Parts: sequence; structure tokens; C-alpha cells
Amino acid sequence: MSLNDFVSALDQLATEAEQSLASVSDMSGLEDLRVRFVGAKNGQLKSINKMLAAVPADQKRSAGQHFNAVRDRVQAALDAAQNRLGSTGSVATSKGPLHDPTLPGIRPTLGHLHPITQTIEHLKEIMGRLGFSATEGPEIEDTWHNFVALNIPEDHPARDPLDNFYLATAKKTTQDPSAHDAMLLRSQTSTVQIRVMENHQPPLRIISLGRVYRPDAADATHFPMFHQMEGLWIDEHVTMAQLKSILRMFATSYLGEDVHIRFRPSFFPFTEPSVEVDYFWNGNWVEFGGAGMVDPNVLTAVGYDPERVSGFAFGLGVERLCMRRYAITDIRDLFRNDIRFLRQF
Amino acid sequence: MLVSWEWLSQYVKLNASPDDLATRFAMVGLNHESTTYVDGDAVVDLEITSNRGDCLGHIGIAREAAVLLNETLSIPKPTIASANLSMQSIQGSFAIENRYPEGCSRYQARILRDVKVGPSPAWLQKRLKAIGINSVNNVVDVTNFVMFECGQPLHAFDLAKIRGNKIIVRRADAGEKFVAIDHRTYELDPSMVVIADAERAVALGGVMGGVDSEVSESTTDLLIESAAFTPLAIRRCARKLRLHSPSSYRFERRVDPNGQTWATDRCCQLITEIAGGQCTPDAIDTASDLPSSEPITLRKSRIEKVLGIDVPWEQSIDILRSLGCIAKLSEEANQKTVAITPPSFRGDLTREVDLIEEIARVYGYDRIPENATVPIFVSSKRPKDVLLERVRSVATSAGLSEALTPSVVNKSANEAMSPWTQIGALQTQVPLLEGTTFLRRSIVPSLLQVYLINQSQQQRDAALFETATLYLPSDKPGALPREQFTLGWAAPLDPRTLHGMVEEFIARVAGRQKAASLNTVLKSYSVPYIQEGTGVWIEVNGQPLAWQGKLSRPTRDSLKIDADLSIGEIDLDLLLTHIELIPRLTPIVPYPVIQRDLNLIVDEAIRWQQLADVVVKAAGSTLIDCRYCETYRDPKKDGAGLKRVLFRMDFQSRDGTLTSEFADHVVQGVLAATSSQLGAKLLA
Repeated sequence: MSLNDFVSALDQLATEAEQSLASVSDMSGLEDLRVRFVGAKNGQLKSINKMLAAVPADQKRSAGQHFNAVRDRVQAALDAAQNRLGSTGSVATSKGPLHDPTLPGIRPTLGHLHPITQTIEHLKEIMGRLGFSATEGPEIEDTWHNFVALNIPEDHPARDPLDNFYLATAKKTTQDPSAHDAMLLRSQTSTVQIRVMENHQPPLRIISLGRVYRPDAADATHFPMFHQMEGLWIDEHVTMAQLKSILRMFATSYLGEDVHIRFRPSFFPFTEPSVEVDYFWNGNWVEFGGAGMVDPNVLTAVGYDPERVSGFAFGLGVERLCMRRYAITDIRDLFRNDIRFLRQF
Repeated sequence: MLVSWEWLSQYVKLNASPDDLATRFAMVGLNHESTTYVDGDAVVDLEITSNRGDCLGHIGIAREAAVLLNETLSIPKPTIASANLSMQSIQGSFAIENRYPEGCSRYQARILRDVKVGPSPAWLQKRLKAIGINSVNNVVDVTNFVMFECGQPLHAFDLAKIRGNKIIVRRADAGEKFVAIDHRTYELDPSMVVIADAERAVALGGVMGGVDSEVSESTTDLLIESAAFTPLAIRRCARKLRLHSPSSYRFERRVDPNGQTWATDRCCQLITEIAGGQCTPDAIDTASDLPSSEPITLRKSRIEKVLGIDVPWEQSIDILRSLGCIAKLSEEANQKTVAITPPSFRGDLTREVDLIEEIARVYGYDRIPENATVPIFVSSKRPKDVLLERVRSVATSAGLSEALTPSVVNKSANEAMSPWTQIGALQTQVPLLEGTTFLRRSIVPSLLQVYLINQSQQQRDAALFETATLYLPSDKPGALPREQFTLGWAAPLDPRTLHGMVEEFIARVAGRQKAASLNTVLKSYSVPYIQEGTGVWIEVNGQPLAWQGKLSRPTRDSLKIDADLSIGEIDLDLLLTHIELIPRLTPIVPYPVIQRDLNLIVDEAIRWQQLADVVVKAAGSTLIDCRYCETYRDPKKDGAGLKRVLFRMDFQSRDGTLTSEFADHVVQGVLAATSSQLGAKLLA
């Protein structure tokens, strides 16, 4: 097929389409014409397009340009007819496809991060702004880091085999919990603080975050595995007033409102003085976590001089903060991972 | 510790309401649990921390109340009426031999005769009822009353049942049997303290008396025991035998090493008052000479250094005095110091900082400000935080949601797969949850369990990932295991889509340029839990980085999973070593890209990576991308054992616009190389 034949077929189609579309009087007639000229299967424009293959290669470019021009003319005539009929009020009776703006969009399938992860990231972010860098350490610990260096002596109830996940060893089925190299799943993230202090000199401002393990029967408020965030600040002039101030800034940032902090005396082997921390929220004092000034025995155990440096430490349960924030009432839901649960965060 | 309001009032004037005082107790460290009323008496439940054994009696609580309310503490002075003291000295007529001083630091005993055992008077029954203790008889009730009064446990033996006029404190024999007052038989071990007479055990020291020597209606003569057992020995014994008593609870928390005599005297006074009888004028005591404790130096400057506030010096000393300390002031060497000797019942006060805590809690933690100056300090994100952000973003973009599962798994999950090590899993001595003792070596079995839970809820589109530590045991026994931070997944998605996710992990973490320069080797991964022909094992610079594939049909069926799942893991610790924290811009080339597609017929055995390597090498530096498109097989036209591989090449130069002729020329070179090296043919 020559270029001339191709062009004249196109011109003929254009004339015919413009004439008939200019005179069409209703929507069904318009739809018939649309199918006749530009239908995807057997429309006339489609048929002519197929002929393009038979045009000699050196004339294809020109033929293509003509084709595009005619296609645009036909489309313009269709649009004009559509506008003309549409404005005369015959839309309601038309059979053509109507735009439904209330149809939903096509959303990308995106996953969700676990609420505990989101809480941890939030805590890290706030503490980061207060100058605390995140650290991590092993989950399987020896008794030196989990107890001894934390001023938890051999006769302390916290070391009882029934209160910890000691590892079974090949040689004996039970380990002697008094041996310094007995291994266990850590019961607190304070172990990380010991490891950091053993390897770094003050000043230190760190948080340690991660999984900890204690044999509690699983119920709505207990699970044998949970997450802790512990903060530690060691320097030459660190006081309890600064501990209270840091915790207030943290709580204010986390809760988004100015809150007050209360200390109640308590007892932890690795801090002295030791306190329970509450924050005032919605008219109640809410338990926040435990805190205190790092016990001189702990500072000595890692090779610091307690006369020269001091510091504070605090520990918070991540699950409790997370559950309160997101109105989760059963801690087991966090570890069940129902996808309908995960998708809400 | 249950505290009766009426009882407490015996020792201190309580000019506050029970609720008010309970709140104030909480602020000095005696946490208020609840208040109930028994026969009109307010009973306050206080939580006593393990360091405050001195508060396990009403007098100890009264001492705290007196300090709080600024009232005087009045402790009764036990005096036995002379009419009840007609007996001869106990010395010579009875003997105590302490063979286990590591388990019992002090043992004191006194004898009473012609006692009339019977019901207790109403006042005594009321006191015990208020704190939930059943009345037994007047003698036993008095021993209990004195214990809950001063915190020192006491035991009354029926003297007629004690053989040989002798008490021996010794270690239990291995396997020794003992029948306690609860009529149960306990098997003992040598760490436990036994109180024996000349012939057999009559009590389990500090824990429970024996049934043979208990006080009954027919008892007339008594031996009153008041001892100091060491906390560790008692705690181990009580734990081991699961035999916890108010006595063992107090000994575990250390009794006043100087409190035995007062308790014995008080007990004998009340028994003679209530039940009559005669009492020895003295007691036998194995350790009557107690070493005096060394004073602790307290510096004024140190109080401020710890608390951050200036507590008036005189007030600090007054607080310690009110708590029973002896203070000796000195003003040497330009600083205010005081030598403090704590009372014997405060075994928790051994250091300067312990005294500062006492000052702080009584002075009031509410006086510590919450707006102190905090100097700013630099903190920054760790590379691991950056890595986590990037991989989480890739995983969620791929449609995976994050799960969080326990690190310890059951036997079948442990045995299901272990891609990273052949060494058996570490185990905990007690299970984390029912049946779970294996420290996991793969995250995937846990995620398959999560998928099952979702499947049971008709949530079959649960696509899951988790980042967690795997515990890969060391081959050296006794060494800490290698903890490998790993991302694992299980998702009803096509394995190649998830292979793409792994590629994106690498690209996002290492950066496109560095990722391309890594020596990444892909191998077939063939294990029973992966469908044959889908498993991929990925190594980077010779180290295993990731594995992935489709869950095999047999594994799927055995787990009763009814969807096709893709599974895999990537070692994030290894990936972290390749992280590029800050990408550097490669300038955008302003010249156009020329594309050329090739459809080559090659032998089935030729892998894409082989083909791509030949293409890249033959094409030279203007080839900026070589992308796989698809594989097609047409044995009728091409012959058996052959496949068509369609791929696209992008050519571009930094120096100028490439011509079509140049691209065609390069493609000819590619065709020649693939033909000669791989036997590839261009599809006609």
C-alpha cells in the first residue's frame, strides 16, 4: 500500500466521522458511532492502523503522522458531540459508562510495624533528643553481668533458678547459679550498661533497649518475655534532681503535655538511693518505672571511682507504655500477631 | 505486712487517719497495698522491700510512724513478775551446742515450768485475728504475737519431749527425714539447719517446728527458742522444701542480731502473765557478745552531691537520730562530717550512701526539684538504627507486616529448620511457655505458627516478617553463643518477589553503587522444607547472607498450612558490615540512552548470572544496565533442552550521544561472545 492510498483512506474516514458526529441526536446514536470509528476491536481507525504495516518503510514516518492527526480529529468530534448531547440533559437516559467519583482508589499493599517497635522507636527518639544514645548487648548473659556486677550477691532471691531462665548445659542438666560463668537469658537490660561501662570511660549517656526474660505465667498483664528500656547517665556531677528532671522531660515529651514526676522510696540492688517513679496523668499517679543513683558497688565493679563519678539509672517496661498508649488491654495480644491487630498500627 | 491500727497505737500516738498515714508511709518507702477493717480495727497492708526486715513487726512500723509524725516511740520494757521467777538458773541444767554457726549465728533458750496451756485471752485473739493469724493456744499465740510485734520469730518446744536436756544446732544429714507441725514429711540436705535434742531432730531451724515436740493441751513445761538464722541458709531451705512460713520470711530478710533477748523476755513475760508458771531467771545464749559495728562517716558535701539539694545539716543528723542511729559530730579538715553508728536492726545501713537515702526519704523526695539544669550532650543514630529503618521500610513496602514472637520455641519448631548452623540448639532449664525450651536458630518456624493462627481466623493474606536475634551455639562448650540479628519472613507471595525484596534490602542498605560492587553469588538451596527448584542461597564476598524459597509441599501439609508461602531469612549483622550511611551522588548523564533487546537461545544449564557476566564483559563500559526480562521455552521450534532468554541492555556514554551504529556494533560483539562462550544463538 502506498502512502497516498493510506492517506486518502484516512481523510475519507475523518470526513465521514465529522459529518455523522455533527448530526447525531442522541446518546445511543453517539455510542454506535464511537464503536464504528474508534472501537477497540473493529473500529475503522483500528483497521486503517493495521494497514500501516504495509506502507513502505521509508514512508512510515509520514504515514504515522497523518494517522495521529486524523485520530485526534475524530476524537475531537466525539468529544464535541458528547458535550453537545450531555448539556441537553439526555445524560440520564444514556447507556454510556458514567464516571463514579465515589469508587475507591487502588491502594498499594503496605505492611505495618509492630506497636512495640513503634513504641521503642518513639522512646529512642525522645531519649536521643535528651542526649542518650542507644546501645544493645547480648540476650544470653553470664551471671557476672546479670547479677554480680549489678550488686546482686549470691544469696539474693533474684538469682534463684526458679526466677530465671538458666541454660541447660551439655555436661550437667542444671547449672550452679552461683558460678560466674553460668549462662541465662538476661532478666534485665542493665547488663548492657555494665558492658558499656566496662569498655568506656565517663561521661556516658546511654539507653539500652531489648528483650528480657522472667518466668511469669502468661496472663493479661504478664508475659515471660518483654522489653525494657534502661537509661544511664554517668558523669562527675550527676544528681537525683537531674534524674527527676530528665524523667519529667521524657514523660512530658512522650505524653505531649507538661506532667509532674513523683519519687517513692524503693529498693533495687544496683541503685542507692532507689525510687519508684510515678507521673501525674488525668488526675492519677501512674506507675512509670524504677530508678535511682547507681550504687557505688556497681561503679566499683566496672572500675570507676565512686568518689569521682556518680550517675543515675532508670528502667521502664516498654509493653506497659505501649499498651497504655494504644488502649491494648491484654499483653498476650502483642505476641499473638493477629494480622487484624497488626494492621491497626 | 498486715498492720493493725490498734496494735500500732500501743507504741506511738497516731495523730492521723489510717488513710492519711498509709499515703505518708508510701512516701517513705512502705508501699500501701490496701486497708480493711476487722472488728472495727483498721488493718493496713504495707509492702515491705526485701532490705527492710526491721519493718516486719509492729514496733518497726511504729518507729517509721514516729519519725513521720514527729512523735515519741514507746517500746515496752519486758519485766517478769518476781513471783514467776523462783526457778534456778538454766545454766548447768540444760545445754546448747551450736555445730553450724554458718547457718545459725545465735541461739538463745529459756525454760518455763508449770504453765497452764489453754485458750488465749480476748485481747490476744483479737490482735492475731486482725492480721489473719488463727489462734492455737495461749503459748503458741504469745510466740506469734511477739514475732509480729518485734519481727523476731520464736519457737516454743514441749520441754518434756526434748530428750537429754540438750539442744544441738547442726546441719541436716543427707536424706534425713523430718515430720513438721504440718504433719508432712520432708527430706533434708546438709545445707539445712536442724535443731535436734540428744537423739533426733525436733525442728527445722528458722522454718518450722517438729510434730514430736509441739506444744499441746497436756504441755506444762516449755523451752523458748529465740535465734538468729542466716538468711541464705533459710531461703534455700524454704525454697527447696517449698515450705514458707512467717518465720522463714523474717529470717530470709535478716533479723536484728541483737534482738533475741528482748523477744525472749517479752515472750516469757506474756506467758507467765497469761498462762502462769515459773521461768528461769536467765537464758542460755551461744553468742551473747556481739561485735559492735563500726561507725560510718557522713559528709555534708556528699549529701548535696547525690541528691542535688542542700538538706540542712542539723536536720540531716536529726533524721538519722530519729531512726535510731548514734551520731558523733566532728568538724575537722574544713568539712562538716559526722560519725554515724546505725542501730543493729538496720542491717541495710552500711555505707554513707545508705545514710543519704535515709535522709532523702524522710526529708522528702518531693523537695527534690524536677527542673534542674541538664547540660546538653551529643547523641547520634547508630548505623544499626539506620539499617533497621531501611530494611523495615523495604519490608513494609513489600506488603509485609511485622510480628513479634518468643525467642524460645518448642521441639518441633526447633527441628523444622536450622539454615545457619548444624549445632544443636541451646536449651533453657525451665520452659518459657508450655513446652518451649529451645533457643531458636531460625525465625521462620515461629512465623509459620503465626500464619497458622491467622489462617484459623480466615486471615489467609497474613504476610509477615520479624527482626530478632538467633542463638547460634558455639562449637566450644561453655562459650556464649553467637547472637545473629536476623530478619525472617513467611508470606503468601511469589518467591521471586521476595527474592527481589532481598535485592532491595542489599541495595537500600549498601547503596546502589556499592551493592553492585559486592561479590554476590547465588546458589540453589536444596533442603526438605523448600520446594525443589525454588530455593536460593545468597552469599556475599564468600559469606552466607540470606536464603529464600517456597515452603515445600510436605512441610506445608505437615503444618496444615493451606496456602503457598515463601520463606527466608537475611543476616542483618553481615548486611550491616556493608552499610553505606551517606550516599554520594553520581552525576546524571545528559546524553540519551539507547536500548537494545536480545532474545537468545541457550542451553537450559546456562544460568542468567553466567549469561549476564559474559554480556557485561563483552559490551564494555557503555553498557549501564543489563536487565533480565523473561524466559520462554519452545522445544518444537528450538529443540529440547534449550530456552530463550529475553533481556534488555541500556547503553549510554558520559562523553556524548552514542550513535545507533555504535550500539549495533556493541551488540554484535555481545552476540559473538555469547555464541563462542555459551553457545547462544540469536532468535531469528
